Amino acid sequence: MTLYVGVALVAAAVLLFIMQPVVRGLHASLEREDDELTETEARKRVALLALRDVEYDFLAGKLDEQDYRSLKSELTAEALAALEADEAARASDGASSDPDVEEEIARIRDGLRSGVVCDDCGFTNEKGSRFCSACGHALADRVAR
Amino acid sequence: MTLLGEFALWISLPVALWGMVLGFAGGRTQRGDLVLSAERSIYAVFGLLAIASAGIVAAFLGDRFEYWYVANYANRELELFYKITGLWAGQRGSLLFWALLLGFFSSIAVFTNRKKNREFMPYVAAVLQTVLAFFIVVLLFAEVNPFQRLDFTPANGRGLNPQLQNYWMVIHPPTLYLGFTSFTIPFAFAVSALLAGRLDARWIQLTRRWILTSWLFLSIGIVMGMRWAYLELGWGGYWFWDPVENASLLPWLTATAFLHSIQIQENRGMLKVWNMSLVLLTFLLTLFATFLTRAGLIESVHSFAENITIAMIFLGFMGAVLAASVVLILYRLPQLQSENQIESFVSRESAFLFNNLMLVGAAFSVMFGTMFPLISEAITGTEISVGPAFFQRVNFPIGLVLLALVGIGPVIAWRRATRKNLQRNFATPVVMGLVVAAALWSSGARHALALTTWGIGAFVLTIIVTEFWKGTRARARIEGEGYVLALFHLVTRNRRRWGGYIVHVGMVMLFMAFAGAAYNVDERFFMEPGDVVEVASPMGHTYELRHDGLSVNLANGQRNLLWQAIVTVSVSKDGEPQGLLTTEKRQYTTQDAGSPPMTEVGVKSYPLEDLYLILSELEDLPAAVSADSDAQGLYLQVLVKPLVGWIWFGCLILAAGTVVALWPSADRQRRASADSVEPAAEPAVVAD
Repeated sequence: MTLYVGVALVAAAVLLFIMQPVVRGLHASLEREDDELTETEARKRVALLALRDVEYDFLAGKLDEQDYRSLKSELTAEALAALEADEAARASDGASSDPDVEEEIARIRDGLRSGVVCDDCGFTNEKGSRFCSACGHALADRVAR
Repeated sequence: MTLLGEFALWISLPVALWGMVLGFAGGRTQRGDLVLSAERSIYAVFGLLAIASAGIVAAFLGDRFEYWYVANYANRELELFYKITGLWAGQRGSLLFWALLLGFFSSIAVFTNRKKNREFMPYVAAVLQTVLAFFIVVLLFAEVNPFQRLDFTPANGRGLNPQLQNYWMVIHPPTLYLGFTSFTIPFAFAVSALLAGRLDARWIQLTRRWILTSWLFLSIGIVMGMRWAYLELGWGGYWFWDPVENASLLPWLTATAFLHSIQIQENRGMLKVWNMSLVLLTFLLTLFATFLTRAGLIESVHSFAENITIAMIFLGFMGAVLAASVVLILYRLPQLQSENQIESFVSRESAFLFNNLMLVGAAFSVMFGTMFPLISEAITGTEISVGPAFFQRVNFPIGLVLLALVGIGPVIAWRRATRKNLQRNFATPVVMGLVVAAALWSSGARHALALTTWGIGAFVLTIIVTEFWKGTRARARIEGEGYVLALFHLVTRNRRRWGGYIVHVGMVMLFMAFAGAAYNVDERFFMEPGDVVEVASPMGHTYELRHDGLSVNLANGQRNLLWQAIVTVSVSKDGEPQGLLTTEKRQYTTQDAGSPPMTEVGVKSYPLEDLYLILSELEDLPAAVSADSDAQGLYLQVLVKPLVGWIWFGCLILAAGTVVALWPSADRQRRASADSVEPAAEPAVVAD
């Protein structure tokens, strides 16, 4: 007898628990977070990551300067193209994108274009770099940050 | 309690099916109430499976021998500890335990994602419930119901196989199950990504920790199994390429491949189809491993006939999963295009690819060898098994290439490496490897394969140490930190990269330990009390072993023991006393009549080698067990096993490295959702 009461109680509790949302209209959110990368965004991200990795490999001494420069200029060109493609895609979507992101992109693009000259060794770094990629010397805008 | 558990198991099936249907329907119609109900059904199934498991444990504790499962895996004399772990001692209980763990992980996955990644969750819940429902169906309908009752109640059970009454055997299976079952979560997310059309790297980022956790449990589980075999089976080895061992290795190999190839997708936007395929394949292989072990397909043809139902259900489900996976991938193929191409054969990308090919190749060769008895039976009518020799011949070269790639991968340049890049990074390590191999050669080691392994091992270790050194030095110079602090920051700022390197150190140690087996010493002596034998070890030591006497206990059934013969051996190494070692023969009351007594080995471990004693035979067994104190002669097998300890130590390092990679970094939490760039991809030195 106790057994059947126990079984009935368990079954009832389970039924109540799983049926409640449907009967009472409780909804789980299904909202898609707006963090999916578009194709151009994904390409941009990949290009920037590749740039960072080359920086690291060079700093860690895995690439010599000649390899580093040739890879870097190639990757910079790619990253620029990806940034522009992404911006074009956004513009054609007519999406009003986040001003922060816009600013960030503008900053990176300017950095890739203009660069910061290290006052220690004369190497041209991306704008926004905190350290010189060639000699590791701290760059001026580190203080500004 | 046990009856309640049985009812709970029956109730769990409709609940799981309900959740499966509602999950798919909720995802399709985007109805939040259906999805919430599906998610709740997962908690419900977990609760019901917990009640069912408690029912089985209660049956063990209450000596309820009317249950087939309890009667076959316990008896009244069994220690309390083994009664509790009886839940996973045999096939029926372990299937329930498996489902319970899956329910547990599924609940965690649903709970941790209750407020985020919502677009994935309908299908994740649906897929998890599908797999849960499958296991519940197996439990209820495949003649493996742990609640099945006998027609009568035996006075006592048959007891637990003595070889399973071992600490390692108690924790080894659950550890493996943790690995197997937790891999269902990445699988569910992958399927959900395919169904929902969310095909960027997001599903990988969401499941990276699940994959690493699962991989960690698999690795530890496999090594624990090796340790159990080493200490308990009494033949001196730790791996026999047995079908069940292979079955656990298969998903480990593909999961390892997956862990590497996702980095290519995250860093270069390539290999999307491959990664999807690998995660689906790994899940299939975890099913295959269960299937192989449960259906008894390989070990004997007879058990195949007995378990035809379970074999069919498993084959049907695996077939359905495979078909659904292929269809889904083909359907989404246009959205799974690469964002980049491989530019050069000599590059980090191609090193990763090569690593993947090797791992998957190893998996297929192991699978082929394991299935060979079935294949040969189907073709020629006779069952032929391939011995360890086949597996070794195929997998040793693959293993060596993989080992070398462990060193090459991290330092070869992305995209394309120039000759200078290669020279710069590989000159010292190659020299180091050659120096080590030459040094070992000159000290008398002549085994080509072992020398190659150790040489490559030294090459890889040099590279990893150099990586740590260069990273620390660069950071110390840039940030003006001391070296210790710089090293600490280096690792904590990019746990994935440096944790991975630590795992690699563990793997190198494992490989070097495996190569040590080429120098195993194995000698057998006849000894009377007082006899002394000498054994020379490959490391140049001499062990002196003295037979100090054989004692025979007639236990007459206590602790399930009929008798126990213990020989005490005093050990000295190069003249230094090392204490006593014992090795035993035991006959259990629970063993089948006429089966040979079991062996307990005596092991003394040193950093570079193990001394391993086996009481291989008593000279006059009938006299010894009838308390004749003169029957003291015996055959002692003495093994010296170089580097075995490195396996266990290497596994610890591997686990530590995985934990480093898993540990949430403060950095990552701070930026939480703001930055979709994963820490691994960032160069540690310039990132912050």
